[in-house]
Amino acid sequence: MAGGKKLRLRLALWLAVAVLIATAGVPWAAEPSPIAQIKKVTGQAVVLRSGERRPAKVGEMLFVRDVIETGSDGGIGITFIDNTVFSAGPSSQIAIDEFLFDSNDFRGAMLAKMRQGTLAVVSGDIARSSPGAMKITTPTAQLGVRGTTFAVQVYGDR
Amino acid sequence: MLLLTGCPRQALFVVLPNAEGGGVGAITVEDGKTVTTLDQPYATAESRAGSTAPSEETQGNISVIFRSAIAARPILPHHFRLYFILGSDKLTPESQAAYRAVFDDVKQRPVYEIEVIGFTDTLGDLPSNEALSLARAAAIRDALVRDGLDRQAISIAGRGKRDLLVPTADQTPELRNRRVEITVR
Repeated sequence: MAGGKKLRLRLALWLAVAVLIATAGVPWAAEPSPIAQIKKVTGQAVVLRSGERRPAKVGEMLFVRDVIETGSDGGIGITFIDNTVFSAGPSSQIAIDEFLFDSNDFRGAMLAKMRQGTLAVVSGDIARSSPGAMKITTPTAQLGVRGTTFAVQVYGDR
Repeated sequence: MLLLTGCPRQALFVVLPNAEGGGVGAITVEDGKTVTTLDQPYATAESRAGSTAPSEETQGNISVIFRSAIAARPILPHHFRLYFILGSDKLTPESQAAYRAVFDDVKQRPVYEIEVIGFTDTLGDLPSNEALSLARAAAIRDALVRDGLDRQAISIAGRGKRDLLVPTADQTPELRNRRVEITVR
């Protein structure tokens, strides 16, 4: 009996160790973890998450596949965990479709989809350590980032 | 809230002067046929219906188009290094003064996240340096919490002697390697 208990305990310990090893260094494989924080909001701004629309609030965390939208008087500023900074002007819609980041070696990948509006970006660790790994798509073209400050506007025919 | 009509979309891309004051990087614009590279401040390209080309846009126009987006930009992330007395988790006198700059930076921000990563020089064995590097990060976190900052907003890690700022031989005391690196954002 005592031997069986010991064996089970040992097995449980090994399992725990295996889980720790399996999840170490791959934060995106486990629970969804925050990828950015809302730092600034002016006027009307919302976050769309799994079909739900909620007002954007300063301090709130964002997750991969969130979409940020601003109204005609709105603006929003967010900072990602790799220190990339996005700020959007009025009537903008930006979806964060992919985001991977390893804080140990600063490598990762990011894909944002912009359908409308204006977006200013200060790139962070992903663009610095993985050239070409940060991309922003618009309806007409895809932007690749090699590490810089830049801006994008998507608009309809005037 | 959005007026997404069926009309064709266009896009304007522009490189801005480096917001952090360093050199200008580059962006590329790909439309499936061509790749346009922009690597000068205020260089612009426009794309529509599968064709992209460099364009001429005045600095004044660019400022008007992106005024609101740039106004919505939060305070950028800032990085700090603090240095420690040999073998301890106590800051050098110079770094005690520099600690205030970290605290003041955080206090400017309506919301903040702080990352503290500890490091050691190569003196001593691996396990004791792992522990010391984490103790250094924890000491800084504890000081920030004592000064009134939110513990939940501070993450710590220790990298031991694995990640030297100044490369040295093993068993070499080096002040610049006995450090924490702090990111405030």
